Amino acid sequence: MSENNSSSKLIQHQFNPYTDNGGTILGIAGEDFAVLAGDTRNTVDYSINSRYEPKVFDVGDDILMSANGFAADGTALVKRFKNGLKWYHFDHDGSSTSRGIKKMRLSTAARSIQHLLYGKRFFPYYVHTIIAGLDENGKGAVYSFDPVGSYEREQCRAGGAAASLIMPFLDNQVNFKNQYEPGTNGTIKKKVEYLTIDEVIKLVKDAFTSATERHISVGDGLQILIVTKDGVKEEYHPLKKD
Amino acid sequence: MVGLSFENYERNQFVAANLHTQPKATSTGTTIVGVKFKDGVIIAADTRSTQGPIVANKNCEKLHRIAPKIWCAGAGTAADTEAVTQLISSNLELQSLYTKREPRVVSTLQMLKQHLFKYQGHVGAYLIVAGVDPTGAHLFSIHAHGSTDVGYYLSLGSGSLAAMAVLEAQWKMDMNKEDAITLAADAIEAGIWNDLGSGSNVDVCVMEVGKDAQMLRNYRTPNIREPKEKSYKFPRGTTGVLKTEIIEECIIDTSA
Amino acid sequence: MNGISVDIQHLKKGEVSLGTSIMAVTFKDGVILGADSRTTTGAYIANRVTDKLTRVHDKIWCCRSGSAADTQAVADIVQYYLDLYTTQFGEPSTKTAASIFQTLCYENKDNLSAGIIVAGYDAKNKGEVYSIPLGGSIHKQPYAIAGSGSAFIYGYCDKNFKEDMTKEETVNFVKHSLSQAIKWDGSSGGVIRMVILTSNGVERLIFYPEEYENI
Repeated sequence: MSENNSSSKLIQHQFNPYTDNGGTILGIAGEDFAVLAGDTRNTVDYSINSRYEPKVFDVGDDILMSANGFAADGTALVKRFKNGLKWYHFDHDGSSTSRGIKKMRLSTAARSIQHLLYGKRFFPYYVHTIIAGLDENGKGAVYSFDPVGSYEREQCRAGGAAASLIMPFLDNQVNFKNQYEPGTNGTIKKKVEYLTIDEVIKLVKDAFTSATERHISVGDGLQILIVTKDGVKEEYHPLKKD
Repeated sequence: MVGLSFENYERNQFVAANLHTQPKATSTGTTIVGVKFKDGVIIAADTRSTQGPIVANKNCEKLHRIAPKIWCAGAGTAADTEAVTQLISSNLELQSLYTKREPRVVSTLQMLKQHLFKYQGHVGAYLIVAGVDPTGAHLFSIHAHGSTDVGYYLSLGSGSLAAMAVLEAQWKMDMNKEDAITLAADAIEAGIWNDLGSGSNVDVCVMEVGKDAQMLRNYRTPNIREPKEKSYKFPRGTTGVLKTEIIEECIIDTSA
Repeated sequence: MNGISVDIQHLKKGEVSLGTSIMAVTFKDGVILGADSRTTTGAYIANRVTDKLTRVHDKIWCCRSGSAADTQAVADIVQYYLDLYTTQFGEPSTKTAASIFQTLCYENKDNLSAGIIVAGYDAKNKGEVYSIPLGGSIHKQPYAIAGSGSAFIYGYCDKNFKEDMTKEETVNFVKHSLSQAIKWDGSSGGVIRMVILTSNGVERLIFYPEEYENI
């Protein structure tokens, strides 16, 4: 008889502090605007916690932010960043300059978030973070972060549950990857050019309706935040609820 | 060889122990129900099939025909529900031809449960079996390990709790056909909306005593996709043809 | 678990179990079987009106506890054997039926989680009760209780059981006992089902919660 039968193995029960709350987010930068969108469904396993739980935020200074993954960590991270932004204003209240309240640059916000994330290197925020806004030259910008703070400025990025479904679509439709000039027999790539706000919003809607079709944790509602030089606008579109 | 092949058992044990990945079967994270009514019985199912969090099929058929008037709804491992249903269907038809009698629901039940018990739950089929035969209308459920239940209303699958909530709230004894169909479809819809493993459409099958069974494919379609914002038609030539080569060419005489 | 004592309290993952309260009691005219009606998969009640009292012959029935699949399979086999036995030798005795149960449960103890009470009536031996717990041993008793809920009613049954009670007394005894078992055991519940086996035939009873809860 075998000594090492399966019931002799030790089993250890351990508290798991993380939950996957599903959902997906998407940021696209245009020439003079940027959008950050996310679905409003919040899930655990096969259950829906909420059909309307917004996760894309206007955190101030025309910066959009979303941290998708474990919702509690996402909320905590956004809250901490907003607090950091508040202190930034206290510390740069304009008394030393004549320009009044100093607006935080998007690149500054990105570096600040890197520190928030890396600060928890060995107990990370379980989130994929994306911020969007305008850079110091007024050009649209999107920054995306991994859970421990590695980040990059990009033209577009999808995050969360359906990122792997949406990202190839974005590569093709925003950066025109795998598209060639007709008649050149695959020798000349299609020239990359800026898309209009209307075009981008169409792409965002199609990306989310498609993700809703094929990913079970995406659906219910779509929240789109748009930054231009005139400030932040918000749109909402219903998605399928099955 | 009769029965399933186990010749890759050892290899698969090795693969499971030494690799991090193992093949995942398509699981019909499902909502299925069965409801008895005054003159018969109906079964219903959603039409979503999943592989993990990805929707594998948006309009699959989970209602299987075992005999013309005995139908079964399947949850669990898609391949198992399909295979076990076809196997028993086949044996039941042979038995029916041999005995010159219409197949009975209890025979179906006994054959299914003995098959599933033999495989000790490894054949992951969770079924609701219903039908009409010379002894009347019947409704049963079978779990993968081989246990069976009788009932006037039953639900199975990941959406079974949502569906059962509706059934427990609204079921009445001796309903008419129309009310029973509505109840079953409502129960499935509860699964479609509230269970992420279930979705898309509602399939219904009605088996009424003394009548042919009616399969109502896509009885409800509450999840039709809205038209896309943009057309994604590429101009011809967008994909470059790098090389063209004809490997082999031969002429086959088809007149003979 | 070491190699000597084998874990027989196991249930396979996701298996449907009869976390049960069951009993069978002999009385003056025969025997009464009783059971709750709850079947669970984890915390979910898969069936709240289960019939755990199963016929294996006209007047030989059994109470099932443990795995639903295992006990149904065993009962089906016993029913088949008794059918064959009847065609060859005529009516089987309760002891014969219990012996078949015992053989199946003992020989396959490694693969079964089945706690069964066999009860029957025959003209020669009158009412009889045999208890076959997990390992496959067999115990002839004046009455038997089993299942997870039985733990709560050992004292009650010991104090209140009397030999040769009337039918009404016995129905009351079973009803009160199972009422308490259901009250204190979370995995028992639903209705109380009874089967009465006497020379007069088979009688089925059902008691709903509003009737047995406050007695």
